[in-house]
Amino acid sequence: MDVITVALSLVGLVAVSTTIGLVWRARQGRVSHRGADTVVKAQDVPGVERFAAGATLVQFSTEVCAPCSATHSVLKETAADYTNVTHVNVDLTHRPDIAKRFRVMQTPTTLILDSKGRVRARIGGAPRPGSVRAEIDRILAT
Amino acid sequence: MSTPPPSSNSSLAAKPGQAGIDPRSPRFGAGITAVLLLIVIALSLVAPIGITTLERASEPGFVLFSIITVLFGWGAIAGIQRHPYGAIFRALVRPRLGLPTQLEDPVPPTFAQGVGFVITLAGFTLHLLGVPYGLVITGSAAFVAAFLNSVFGYCLGCQIYLLLVRTGIIGRSAATGT
Repeated sequence: MDVITVALSLVGLVAVSTTIGLVWRARQGRVSHRGADTVVKAQDVPGVERFAAGATLVQFSTEVCAPCSATHSVLKETAADYTNVTHVNVDLTHRPDIAKRFRVMQTPTTLILDSKGRVRARIGGAPRPGSVRAEIDRILAT
Repeated sequence: MSTPPPSSNSSLAAKPGQAGIDPRSPRFGAGITAVLLLIVIALSLVAPIGITTLERASEPGFVLFSIITVLFGWGAIAGIQRHPYGAIFRALVRPRLGLPTQLEDPVPPTFAQGVGFVITLAGFTLHLLGVPYGLVITGSAAFVAAFLNSVFGYCLGCQIYLLLVRTGIIGRSAATGT
């Protein structure tokens, strides 16, 4: 292969990788309201006896997840700002059944549930504190 | 500048009894790996693949690729904290940067080294067996992962780990014990 073709191949590889990275980054922390009719039972979420009167932030993690600890801090601190919001972290490492039931395809994934366990928002990837707060405020206002 | 970050941060970032690492260190290492992989791909594309095993084993692109493979193996087995690129980062890069805003668990980047090792070992074997473009294809796959990790902070290892959990390859056996 001549040098020009090789150089163009390398540029193409870097361009494709950059596009993948930009798309991935744009989707990180995006809030989805699809599945808002789904109702989760408290007993289906390990570590939860009953849902908080305001909202419950359910974080799905694994033991191998670089952004999960930062997400843990963000959600814990956000929940602490409200009297009726709790944060629970579910480690999926030994619970593939939960990963499948909630169709978790990436970690962290966060569900924001209202007091009745309805899934009001779903956030894939590291959530932005502002959007978590906005979703909680929306739930508390209804 | 070389003072370790406050321990209150590391308690958030790493498992108990394990020190957190500067998250910029593995990303710096992934950057070196990505550049080296581009060189491997270029060298493999300019020259046709050797006819005998000895010819193929002595091609410069393959020699460089073998070094990358060994380094991935080192990172996976010894842990990301003992990776040579980490030593370069601590000696040359870290003194020029401020303190990290947070520390990270070393387990995900160590697992990622294992993923890199599996991919590059496959390329290593395919090339020695004489499979055309074996180095280019596995090198490109490893490049995409290393580039995304270095530039965007994307953790392919974390994604693969979750998929292995979902398929029951990792984690399930321990569930019966707990």
